[in-house]
Amino acid sequence: MNTKPVVELENLKVRLGRREILHGISCRLGVSGTGKAVGLLGPNGAGKSTLILTLLGFLRPSAGSARILGLDCRRGMGAARSRIGYMPENDAFIGDMTAVAFLRQMAELSGLPPKAALEKAHEVLFHVGLGEARYRELRTYSYGMKQMAKLAQAIVHGPELVVLDEPTNGLDPAARRRMLKLVGEMKNEQGMSVLICSHLLRDIEQVCDEAVIMKDGAIVHQCNLEEERRSNRRFVELEVTGDDGNLRAALPEIGAEGVSEGGGRWRIVLPLGVEFEAVWALAARQNLLVRKLTHRRDTLEEIFLKAMGHLAHTPGEQLGT
Amino acid sequence: MAVYKRGYRRYRGPLTGSWTRFMVLPRHAWGRLYQQRLVLMLTMLAMVWPLLCAGFIYLTNHVELLQGLEPEFRQFIQVDGRFFSIFMYVQAGFAVFLAALAGPGLIAPDLANNALPLYFSRPLTRWSYALARLMVLVGMLSVVTWVPGLILFGLQVGLAGGWWFWSNWTLGAGMVAGFVLWLLVLSLVAMASSAYVRWRVVAGAVSLAFFFILTGVAEMINNVFRVNWGHVIDPAWAVNQVWCALLGVAPPEGPGAVPSALALAAIMVLLAAVIERRLRPVEIVR
Repeated sequence: MNTKPVVELENLKVRLGRREILHGISCRLGVSGTGKAVGLLGPNGAGKSTLILTLLGFLRPSAGSARILGLDCRRGMGAARSRIGYMPENDAFIGDMTAVAFLRQMAELSGLPPKAALEKAHEVLFHVGLGEARYRELRTYSYGMKQMAKLAQAIVHGPELVVLDEPTNGLDPAARRRMLKLVGEMKNEQGMSVLICSHLLRDIEQVCDEAVIMKDGAIVHQCNLEEERRSNRRFVELEVTGDDGNLRAALPEIGAEGVSEGGGRWRIVLPLGVEFEAVWALAARQNLLVRKLTHRRDTLEEIFLKAMGHLAHTPGEQLGT
Repeated sequence: MAVYKRGYRRYRGPLTGSWTRFMVLPRHAWGRLYQQRLVLMLTMLAMVWPLLCAGFIYLTNHVELLQGLEPEFRQFIQVDGRFFSIFMYVQAGFAVFLAALAGPGLIAPDLANNALPLYFSRPLTRWSYALARLMVLVGMLSVVTWVPGLILFGLQVGLAGGWWFWSNWTLGAGMVAGFVLWLLVLSLVAMASSAYVRWRVVAGAVSLAFFFILTGVAEMINNVFRVNWGHVIDPAWAVNQVWCALLGVAPPEGPGAVPSALALAAIMVLLAAVIERRLRPVEIVR
């Protein structure tokens, strides 16, 4: 696709003191258009936060270039920052301000006129579920409420790109679901591009369209999750009881291939156009009782482990065509 | 439609000018500062002396009220450089306490709450943030220093006539310039202490102690080395020397106005450098 990337890195190197943290990264993120989410994954110390801080212009590249929304991170950040919203990982707020005053100030700093800023502050606080608490001082908020207030300040000015650094950190399951739902709405309904930095694979898998995996200051894998999901619809996991000794030989009847993992568990690759019903029918013909039949779901985890070197290859990969 | 019914929509309207955007910070900060009872009380208290001075100006311009007084005393009470210098000493004292009271609440909370990344991820540079914070203090202290001073000057011009303005306009200009110099020193000291000490009360005490300590060090240098140039590192003394030159009042013995002004400039540059080091969106562990 020929869309302008949200983030473009060209041999980007960043040094902090004598240590080189990012070692010549080159990539184009968000090429699939606006309203998409890019996940930045990696273990602690991989360089995710350094990359985000560089993109925001907080750290200067020692070599190479980084462009965000088409603007250079060294020279064009003044213009770019009106179009970016940033939610930092750690607590960041002004304790003695009410949420609505805090958001109004932040919106005005991003360039909104005072009246519009006040209106948007109220609007976004209701949107993130803090409407009833909007006149309370931020220091009285619980951790989950502070996370939501941080998200609110990141989107109050309606940015084109929202950078979220570990948005679900420390949230209980209900708050985590709500946060991910809001992120989903931001991209799907508001058309914002989202860059999420996280070490939680499930969060990335749930809301992101692209994923970038970093390790030791370098990008070790980049993938389009939507395409991976689409291709994974061909990979199914089957669990049966009964004598499955003839199943491997029978699979070509429906044009499929598969490997047994023992204990009645199989990984099968279906050809295009073949649906689950064919597998049910085949199992019935083999007098097998199907206990589980599902599409493979743990794609990103496998990709991540493979990128980290903990997995030699994706299971079933040798079967793919 | 009510906001809570409407739901969130991205803002796509016009934006304000980028050059004036940093003034958002002082505007909000002034609103919060004047909600503090102590700041408001001290500001009101600082208006007492200008009111007394206004009464004095009225008195000196109404000869009929001074008929019964000795001619020497009538000669003594005049609106001149000495009058404005006394006015400035008192108001400068109020400014010190106001700066110590309000200054620490400017940067320290932003550092303590890690708010700098939120500011700097917006179209606000470190320098415009520092300038905005400086404006908060300079603006607030102006209310008790050069603004009432200029009103007094205007009152005197109004009562004495245009001739007085033409022969004494340097007093007005000198007073404003002298106050602005003092406000810059005070504001930078308050900001530097606020940038390094996260607790407001301690930061206020540090900004007061800064002046006392430097006065002590200056005296120590003078006594140990039997010199008088040690005074230049005492900001209060140096400012007084500059004020005397600006108002045409006999200066105290010691280095002249130019070395004092240079010393003040050096102190301000050092304070600005100290503040600049602290105002970073991320702390880099090297």
